[in-house]
Amino acid sequence: MTKNLRVKTSKYIDETYKISFKFNGTTYYGYKGDTLASALLANNIHLVGRSFKYHRPRGIMTAGSEEPNAIVQLHKNSSRTEPNVRATEIEIYEGLEASSQNCWPSVNFDIGGINNFLSPILPAGFYYKTFMWPASFWEKYEYFIRKSAGLGKSPTEPDPDIYEHKYVHCDVLVIGAGISGIIAAKTSAKSGFKTLLVDEKPYLGGSTIYQNSEHFKINNQISSSWLDKEINEIKKIKNLEVKTRTSVSAFHGYNFLLARENLTDHLPLNQRNNKIRHRLLKIRSKKVINATGSLERPLIFDNNDRPGILLSSAIEKYANLYGVACGEKNVLFTNNDSAYETVISLNQKGINVEAIIDNREEIDSKLIKEAENNNIKIYKGYTVVNTSGYKRVNQVSIMQLSKDGQKVIGTKKSIDCDCLGISGGWTPAVHLFTQSGGKLKFRDEDQVFIPNIYPSDQISIGSCNGEFTLDEILTTTPKTLKEFLNLKKTDYEDLEIQSSFNKSKRNIWLLPSDKIIGKTKPFVDYQNDATAKDIKLALREGFRSIEHVKRYTTTGMGTDQGKLGNMHALGIISETAGTKMGESGTTTFRPPYTPLTFGTIVGRNVGEYFDTFRKTPIHEWHVENKAEFENVGQWKRAWYYPKDGENMHDAVQRESKAARDSAGILDASTLGKIDIQGTDASEFLNRVYTNAWSKLAVGKCRYGLMLNEDGMVYDDGVTTRLGENHYIMTTTTGGAATVLGKLEDYLQTEWPELDVYLTSVTDHYATVSVCGPNSKKIVSQVIPDLDFSDGSFPHMSFKNTKIGKIKCRVMRISFTGEHSYEINIQANYGKSVWEKCMEVGKEFNITPYGTETMHLLRAEKGFIIVGQDTDATMTPIDLQMDWIVSKKKYDFIGKRSLYRSDTIKEDRKQLVGLLTEDPKEVLEEGAQIVADIKSPIEMLGHVTSSYYSPNLKKSIALGVVRGGKNMMGQKLIIPMENKKINVIVADPVFLDKENKRLNA
Amino acid sequence: MLDYTNVITKEKSYSGLQMKEIKPVMKLIIRGKKREFLSAIGKSLNLLLPTEPNTSSRSEKLSALWLSPDEWIIYSNEISNPDTNNYETENLLNKKISNIGLGAVTDVSDQFVLINMKGDKIFDLFETGSPFNFNIFRDKKGAVTQTILARIDVIIHNQNQNEVNLFVRRSFSQHLFSWMNDSASRL
Repeated sequence: MTKNLRVKTSKYIDETYKISFKFNGTTYYGYKGDTLASALLANNIHLVGRSFKYHRPRGIMTAGSEEPNAIVQLHKNSSRTEPNVRATEIEIYEGLEASSQNCWPSVNFDIGGINNFLSPILPAGFYYKTFMWPASFWEKYEYFIRKSAGLGKSPTEPDPDIYEHKYVHCDVLVIGAGISGIIAAKTSAKSGFKTLLVDEKPYLGGSTIYQNSEHFKINNQISSSWLDKEINEIKKIKNLEVKTRTSVSAFHGYNFLLARENLTDHLPLNQRNNKIRHRLLKIRSKKVINATGSLERPLIFDNNDRPGILLSSAIEKYANLYGVACGEKNVLFTNNDSAYETVISLNQKGINVEAIIDNREEIDSKLIKEAENNNIKIYKGYTVVNTSGYKRVNQVSIMQLSKDGQKVIGTKKSIDCDCLGISGGWTPAVHLFTQSGGKLKFRDEDQVFIPNIYPSDQISIGSCNGEFTLDEILTTTPKTLKEFLNLKKTDYEDLEIQSSFNKSKRNIWLLPSDKIIGKTKPFVDYQNDATAKDIKLALREGFRSIEHVKRYTTTGMGTDQGKLGNMHALGIISETAGTKMGESGTTTFRPPYTPLTFGTIVGRNVGEYFDTFRKTPIHEWHVENKAEFENVGQWKRAWYYPKDGENMHDAVQRESKAARDSAGILDASTLGKIDIQGTDASEFLNRVYTNAWSKLAVGKCRYGLMLNEDGMVYDDGVTTRLGENHYIMTTTTGGAATVLGKLEDYLQTEWPELDVYLTSVTDHYATVSVCGPNSKKIVSQVIPDLDFSDGSFPHMSFKNTKIGKIKCRVMRISFTGEHSYEINIQANYGKSVWEKCMEVGKEFNITPYGTETMHLLRAEKGFIIVGQDTDATMTPIDLQMDWIVSKKKYDFIGKRSLYRSDTIKEDRKQLVGLLTEDPKEVLEEGAQIVADIKSPIEMLGHVTSSYYSPNLKKSIALGVVRGGKNMMGQKLIIPMENKKINVIVADPVFLDKENKRLNA
Repeated sequence: MLDYTNVITKEKSYSGLQMKEIKPVMKLIIRGKKREFLSAIGKSLNLLLPTEPNTSSRSEKLSALWLSPDEWIIYSNEISNPDTNNYETENLLNKKISNIGLGAVTDVSDQFVLINMKGDKIFDLFETGSPFNFNIFRDKKGAVTQTILARIDVIIHNQNQNEVNLFVRRSFSQHLFSWMNDSASRL
């Protein structure tokens, strides 16, 4: 039976709203406002999980996001399952189901617990040392090691939730809504700054909001009441936005931050449908105020990890905020005054405290006096040397510390307890500050790292800046804000502050024991089971850098990223190695501060919105006519149009034959189109293409090849002279944007003297390409007023015309080697023109063809595709296109590179045609080409394009072969997995070398 | 006669947001650097081109948006007849600008789809997909920006309080409009 440990009511818990939830299959009850951890503790449940390596029973240790132990799996075996959820952070809701991780068959009886007894033979680096030999066995070891790796189970079904991103711009971002954050947000917003205040908790006020003690007063009001009024006031300020349940996970350079806003995780599952679960805020803030607070340190002693051992501040929070007692026989162990605040809170709530063990000998403060007045036994100058109780702590053993704190003396005493609170002082939460590039300094007097050098316009206030007491915070914060926000005055200048906290602390990183260290288990990293012993072993084995020790021992590498123990690891290293803490620095703090779901990172970029797609003006026709599509860049292009259950091969054979025999029609709208105007347009083209343009007559088209400065082919296309100073350039589909960018760059930076203007018109035009022997008959019916005679309208020319009242351009150009026309018309009329061509083309069996057939047709003709037959290492000469390189022009981009010794050498890879001995054998694109298969085999090149040509009734291929130009007629070999294929090097133009069809 | 087929056929309405395509609308990109270019435009169209970055100017019939130091988009405030694509303004500018070498005039009527958005949730929608800071923009009538929305290039023209015109390349417009509707459904 579980006990009810709910004590006096708390205003943060709504006891009229009961919530049932399941933990490890058993139903429990809690109240609205509870976290899973507080509800479990109210039911007297401490044991919630097993540690990673030794499978030791572990309990709830903290009350915040730093929790290393109480991590659970939610909703096992459902699409909403989530591993590694911190019980301290998840708010309970009706129907919540949580279960323990890393245990089998149950958390109470875990077979893996045997590891705890084997621990003497499982030191740090066990895997590295043990699985080294025989080396060949690694793959077998790996199988078992991988099985035991990882915590929790990832979901296997699609995520049913919706996630979103949001861009936020503000003047001031305040991170953390504790007392200093509230003061900062109010000051900033009231001074006219657009301010955003975020806090990871569902409530505002940090730890001060439940500081209900006469010892802490502001303007003669108890600190929590004073803060409560401030919070009520900030809710009314117009230019202040407050976001709770929002955790900043990353602080990048230039004040760019990422935060996760949690919107539905606290709602019952049936209320989450169609709501955004998490929203990733992408925040750009002119100024950032870090008020991230601090984390209480544990103390490192033998068996400091048993269920029932919590941070002292967590015990206080559970009592004050949630009205829950963590135990009935409480013992506190501390090195500073914080634990006394806990003791006073517990006293107020009537929760029994058995004893306080304070490692300081001479101590004096009002807090301590009050504890003494309440007849609580204080062991001064003592330390805990051990604890007992397997699944719940039941006793602590204490001994007196020597003067230097290095060893224990006297006799051992035992105190019975069911809960031990530990307090090792406070560590400023500087994680976000350092992520942003901030540099820390070490403050020797209380052994903390605090912000030192800020890389951007930001400041740290409150305990994350090392100000731990109420009076320190309230005197420093207003001054800091005044300077940071450039204000004359704040509302917080003359506060009357009463704080009984004494700052004295006796910091001992690793507390001494009566046993040798080898016989103890003082845990530093609770989640990964790294002990002080492991750290010392790593140092003995020669590791010195904290980064190496971290990786060897796995300290700080769990899902909690070592928020509790990393400082102790540093302390133990510096003590053992005899170095100074400040010099060795810290490990690198990396985002996210707390774990993020993948959904949060991905946002709505899933499903339909995973990638952007572009559609041509004729797209819907292709869909209606059952085209298969292929992605070309972001475009959806019709690939082929299968008829009556055809596969791609059959469809392509049919389409390509129709195009050669009668008429084919292609949607070429995706080609990049750049409108070029200006008095220097011809000169501009002379400079960007390898061939000459000045003499191209108005009305004519010319094919051009564009090189990079290294002389390699970059893009190609046909450019048409529309007027004296007016051209339209086409580029490859995929290259359109980069070509335009590159040309604009040249105009702006290299040739500003040229009077040339570029405008992209890719989307303005639909391009309908009709090819084949009957193309003229079809197009002339669509545009009856135009003179299509060869004399008036020869190959490589264009006409401005109209279809009805709609202006359009017709080019007679060809990418198939057939007589063909391209109708370029304003996009919104494109589908109609296509349909007209289909209608009049019916009698000629006009056949729509896709990109696959287009590739085959152009390969028959030996036309290259930039990016398929070239790969940024091919010059025009390598492509056997010497004819396109002007020898007369003074210069063009890449010209100089064509005369480098490397680009002129004879044995470069050159484009050739390849014919297989067996005409039915189709080569695989990418296959290697060799001359001889005796090893070592010398690779001569590879196949770039390969098809079966129904028109030539044989297999054809293009490939690049070293020195190929001079190998015409030579036999080469394509070695495949199970066979070798003999090929003959041929001319890359397989069809109509004389261009009879083009000019027909 | 050819049929006119635009991309976005439906008007969409949400609480605080209405979106529709306005078509056919004549759109021209004009480019030029010379002083004579600016004055010729001014005289021909009775419209001064904005020279302050990211602003616009407007006459009864036309709006002009600054795109770069030598580049503007001019679009008609009224819809045109889909039966013809012969635009008076284009012809006039060809005569006064491009034909005499003062600058460039390019018809981009179908390069861009014009989506008109109305309502008080416009900028809430933009915030879900655009990194641009709209804090000042939203209150500045006539402001123009070229930014990205859902990773797609857009031009946004602030017409009035709670009304903007958004220009997107035609090929992207269907994807973007679908994304905008998805986002709007949860505002």
